[in-house]
Amino acid sequence: MMSFIRPRWRKPAWIVLAGTVFAAAWVIRGGPYWWLWVSLVAIVAAGRAFALYMWAGEDDDVGALAGSRADERQKLLSLRSRALAFNVTALAAFAGLTVAVAIRAGWWWPFAVILGVTGLGYLLGLAACSIAEEGPADDASTEHQTPFPISS
Amino acid sequence: MRNQVREQRTQRGLSQAEVAAALGVSRQTVISIENGRYLPSLPLAFRIARFFGMPVEKMFGPDGEGAGR
Repeated sequence: MMSFIRPRWRKPAWIVLAGTVFAAAWVIRGGPYWWLWVSLVAIVAAGRAFALYMWAGEDDDVGALAGSRADERQKLLSLRSRALAFNVTALAAFAGLTVAVAIRAGWWWPFAVILGVTGLGYLLGLAACSIAEEGPADDASTEHQTPFPISS
Repeated sequence: MRNQVREQRTQRGLSQAEVAAALGVSRQTVISIENGRYLPSLPLAFRIARFFGMPVEKMFGPDGEGAGR
């Protein structure tokens, strides 16, 4: 989808897009200081996009990821980092939910939603990534099957 | 796993950046492979072996056996 954009501009473009959507939410929300929040969102998004663009010029792993030119090792690095972020998020949500339930707080449900979404996301990932791996074993013939040695 | 990447590269007088450019990976990845911190995927291992004109089993080998020896 973003292939028509030069690699170095892709991540900054995502940030600008996300910033625009978020700023639009503030415009729709209205209120006396909507323009202040829109300005703040614009400044933060522009700053982040600029930082990513500059980062993408660096000759290191983070620069390669920021510049959308990562090789297989750098993609694996990013994947592991995302997995860690997922674990931290799920743990934090679980801790928040536990505390909220213990003190009978009314704000327990956002933690439950986050926990639910991370759990569902994990199941979705398992389903999406393992479907192609499923298949009948090609050594399923029972004629020559020998039992596995069992060691005790 | 042991590999012969550093030996083969230095024998040919190539820099890590030149090898990285030829293989289509980053310089950091070549460094990681040379130091044994990263095991390349099978396609990349074959690309490396082909680049240096060696069989892949000579280029990469288990620790005990010693690649290329």
